[in-house]
Amino acid sequence: MPLLEIRNLVVRYGEIEALRGVTCAVEQGQVVTLLGANGAGKSTTLRAISGLAKPTSGDILFDGQSIAGLGPEAIVRMGISHVPEGRRVFPGLTVKENIMLGASNRRAPTSEISREADAMFDLFPDIRKFSNALGWTLSGGQLQMVAVARGLMAKPRLLLLDEPSLGLAPVIVQAVFKIISEIRRNTTVLLVEQNARMGLSVADYGYVLETGRIVLGGKPDELWGNEAIRAAYLGGHAKASA
Amino acid sequence: MDLALQLLFTGIGIGAVYALVALGFVLIFRATNVVNFAQGEFSMVAAYLMVVAVEAGLPYWAAFIVALLGMALLGVVFNLGVYYPLRHRTYLPVIIATIGASILLANSVLAIYGPQPQVLQGWFDTPGIQLGPVYLDSQYLLIIGVTICLVIFNFWFFEKTLLGKKLQATSQDKEMASLLGISVSTMIMITFIYSAVLGGLAGILVAPVLFVSIQMGSTIALKAFAATIIGGFGDVAGAIIGGLALGVIETFGAAYISVPYKDGFAFLVLVAFLVFRPQGIFGERVAEKA
Repeated sequence: MPLLEIRNLVVRYGEIEALRGVTCAVEQGQVVTLLGANGAGKSTTLRAISGLAKPTSGDILFDGQSIAGLGPEAIVRMGISHVPEGRRVFPGLTVKENIMLGASNRRAPTSEISREADAMFDLFPDIRKFSNALGWTLSGGQLQMVAVARGLMAKPRLLLLDEPSLGLAPVIVQAVFKIISEIRRNTTVLLVEQNARMGLSVADYGYVLETGRIVLGGKPDELWGNEAIRAAYLGGHAKASA
Repeated sequence: MDLALQLLFTGIGIGAVYALVALGFVLIFRATNVVNFAQGEFSMVAAYLMVVAVEAGLPYWAAFIVALLGMALLGVVFNLGVYYPLRHRTYLPVIIATIGASILLANSVLAIYGPQPQVLQGWFDTPGIQLGPVYLDSQYLLIIGVTICLVIFNFWFFEKTLLGKKLQATSQDKEMASLLGISVSTMIMITFIYSAVLGGLAGILVAPVLFVSIQMGSTIALKAFAATIIGGFGDVAGAIIGGLALGVIETFGAAYISVPYKDGFAFLVLVAFLVFRPQGIFGERVAEKA
């Protein structure tokens, strides 16, 4: 049984049908990448999983249990942590405080959460020295590190990462993806990326979304190896980001 | 000089009341992005609760606890009745609802208690102590003491506890807070309870200095609102400094310039700030946080 299974998911924002029947699955221990152009429905898929967007129809199963329609607070307590687009680091709180709040989905004494947050800096050494800096003072790459560290503090069984490379310099993108390849040792990851080359480089499986539908699914080398697919869905983005 | 010291003491005393109400304004504004126009009525209702409890024969400390518990309850009811049903709407319906609640509270008290102002005795039998040239009125000493304790508590609570950080996170980005598992509705409930108790404390403390009347809420609220703007809207330290400054300015203005225009000075300062420094004393820091 897959850890996450999405069946025929439809999400509407008013008149607009953002997802028009998405079906896909994430197996335990895998990194799965959702690729697609702007507006294809990648972020909406993640928002539906984490409870920010209410499904109109279809189902989302986590560990065999339906979570469609639950609120975000309930879903993160079940072990799905969503690092949303734009990082959303709290600007008026320090880096350490931001990371500590990532553990809000579980009950633990503050001292223990503080220790865990300190330990998180081993995985993200670049932001250790900004521990007491307020969120708004950080650069994009640092914010991304904080956002991922905060997401991991939930001790998720499934981590949803939305566009971690967006707006970052290539060398920072490399650093972020190096971290993703370390995270995958313990955590299942569903990754959304516009940067197809980077997105597939860490993935076990990839899906391509187009205007609210999954049009392709396959192993990274299958997707990447197929000339027609690359030209139609992947090539343009790879070129743009190279 | 002696007179100036005396006025400074009185000004800080009355300013402390404005500061407490202003703090209530700011906390609710930060959590919900809405100005609660019933914040002054919290002070008025608490003062009446205190009068009722004392007339019922309760000792002062017990009446105090009853009144504050009543305010906590009012905070819960206010949140569920006024804010919660409209929380997904824009700020305008919520603001109108708080104005409606303010009118409802004032007229409910009027219907129950009548228009006659009530008198609440001071807390202490001794009216005050003479310290050198300055006479320290016991009620003002109490107001200043309680305000200092609350400012310290407020700092500790928001800066040193995880719950305080969750409240701050909620006021900065509700959607992100909910993604982390922070119960946004609980955080907003806590904010309303805390603000109602703060406003209530101000009303109870100031009641022996003023008359307990239906209008006391709107008078205090207007000054406190001016204080939040002077301090820098949305800033906690600004609300406290602004409240204290306003109390001192209007006391000095009344003594040296004109007593009948006492209330006018507060608003003159407000106008001056709106013209020359609309972001308030701590304005920049607010911009950074936004």
